[in-house]
Amino acid sequence: MAELSAFGGASLTYDLGADSDGSPLLTLAGELDMTNADALEKVVAPVLSRAPSRLVIDVSGLLFGDSSAIALFVKWANVVGQVELREPPELLSRVIARMGLSERLGVTR
Amino acid sequence: MSGVAEGVAPVEAERLEETGASRPTRDRHRWPFGAPLAVLVVGLTVTGILCWISSGLYTRNETRLLKLRAQDVGAVLTAALPSVQTPLASATALANATGGNVAKFEQFVAPYLHGNPFVSVSLWQVNATDRGPLAVVGAPPVLPPSTARARDFFARAAASSNLNIVGFLRRPPLRLGYAFTPTSSGSFAAYGESSLPSNRYAPVQNNSAFNDINYAFYLGRSAKPAELLIASVHRLPLTGRHATVTIPFGDTAFTVTVAARGPLAGTLPKRLPWAIAIAGILLTIAATLLTVVLVKRRQDAVGLAGELEQVADENRRLYAQERGIAQTLQHALLPDTLPQLPGLQISARYEPGVEGVEIGGDWYDVLALNDRRLLLVVGDVSGKGLQAAATMAALRFAIHAYAVEGQAPQTFLPKLSGLVNVSVDRQIATVLCAVIDIPSHEVSVTSAGHLPPILISDRGGEILEIPVGLPVGVDRNASYTSTTVSAAAGATLIVFTDGLVERRGENIDVGLERLRAQVSSNHASLDQLLTQLLSELGEHAPDDTAVAGIRWLN
Repeated sequence: MAELSAFGGASLTYDLGADSDGSPLLTLAGELDMTNADALEKVVAPVLSRAPSRLVIDVSGLLFGDSSAIALFVKWANVVGQVELREPPELLSRVIARMGLSERLGVTR
Repeated sequence: MSGVAEGVAPVEAERLEETGASRPTRDRHRWPFGAPLAVLVVGLTVTGILCWISSGLYTRNETRLLKLRAQDVGAVLTAALPSVQTPLASATALANATGGNVAKFEQFVAPYLHGNPFVSVSLWQVNATDRGPLAVVGAPPVLPPSTARARDFFARAAASSNLNIVGFLRRPPLRLGYAFTPTSSGSFAAYGESSLPSNRYAPVQNNSAFNDINYAFYLGRSAKPAELLIASVHRLPLTGRHATVTIPFGDTAFTVTVAARGPLAGTLPKRLPWAIAIAGILLTIAATLLTVVLVKRRQDAVGLAGELEQVADENRRLYAQERGIAQTLQHALLPDTLPQLPGLQISARYEPGVEGVEIGGDWYDVLALNDRRLLLVVGDVSGKGLQAAATMAALRFAIHAYAVEGQAPQTFLPKLSGLVNVSVDRQIATVLCAVIDIPSHEVSVTSAGHLPPILISDRGGEILEIPVGLPVGVDRNASYTSTTVSAAAGATLIVFTDGLVERRGENIDVGLERLRAQVSSNHASLDQLLTQLLSELGEHAPDDTAVAGIRWLN
């Protein structure tokens, strides 16, 4: 896991790997909000530039995600076409559900 | 960031600035040389004390050494006395034993002449001194024979068994005369005279063991100038540090006064106080200068700290100012007046979040579509800052335009994705639209990813769990459905943004339930209700919060 440092911002670690079907797998842990969403987007950009058909985001370790985090996931979903938001904590999954985005973000439990 | 309380007035900020500025000024004007002066005084005092101690030690040591030298001189003199006494005693004994045999006398005393120790030795008959000496070896004696002095002297000598000194014989040449009659029974006495330099001056030879001192010998038990025998200096008495010893010499004594010609213990102990003084003064000056430098540095640091404090104060002031500007802008983008419609109370509030100075993206809007219909809108643009505010303004005015044109929310909500595009600016917006038909008490709610409204009636608060469409900005082809509910007479509809219910680390449903419970037990007027909700639920919200409500009048 690499540390994503944002000066004075939330602390987030991420890992880029491959899911069982070879799709890119982004594993996130910590906190993702407007202070580090930019940095994370830059880190993931090279993976998306290879135009994968599916992106798996393992957010089981994501303790906090604000609307900027959700907007970033939505952006990725729009770019890739199919996103799987894997095992979000209940706090996050409830917010996503209330925003009507569960299906769009491919939330799996 | 969150340490600054909301609404730090500019006046208070300026007051902070003033106190911040006065602190370093006062320090800077304080006399800076107190500590260096103290160092100087202490340094000089210590140096002085050390000098005094070392000087005292030097003086005591020199005095002790001088006393030892005086005793040495005395010992040498004492050792020399037999050379005067013995020949005279032996010659007297010989004369008495031989009945005043002149030839034998002359033969005996001859080796003791030539100034060592005598220049003149003569044989006298004790009770007939007027006739002069019976025999003379060496120079003629200076002692006048037919005088009371001679008579008294020989009478005294005959009576005593000690060496007798006649004293100074001042008729030139200057001499000192002695006689020694060990037995008082004899009638003859040998009498010797030693010569003294006419000026009584005999310098110490450089190769002498005593070349480190000056001396003055006096006859008698005190250093009377008139009784000076001989001295190594012309100026007498010896002044300065000197030591005196008295050595018994026959019926009188020698008094020897010595003074050091230089430091007896060598030059180092003599120079030590000066060395200490010079080193002490130099060290003191160095320490004083160092203290001056350190004090200056400290003052600079204090001054710098003061300046930093000023900068911090200025930052606080700017922060408060910026925050004020952001809030002013936010309020400018929100409706300044709410429509007034018969049979309905309308109220709305906006509260900036406590975190940061950045403007938020929350808004509310209330539009009178016609006499009986009202559009209540609340929305939340993701992110913060001017971009969020600009998007918020665009959405608000677009909705305004579409609504005035007569379009229904489920029609215009997809079009709003032309203004917000998550793929371009990573922004999404949640919007809740409620079209209220006032006379029929019907509420038609459409949600683009927004939190549900709460309908309050006599039965309490109810979260209107309606179908939720995609947030604005996600998909231009999103479809929305509106849900119509019927409101009871006197019912209240509350729409809000997440700042009112969201807490970090808490399930959003818990926050919603808290709000529902809060409004269920509240029977205040609509205005009071919104105010209380904001103060009780939204006060510590990190996010900004918008809340709007309508209430049917009975």
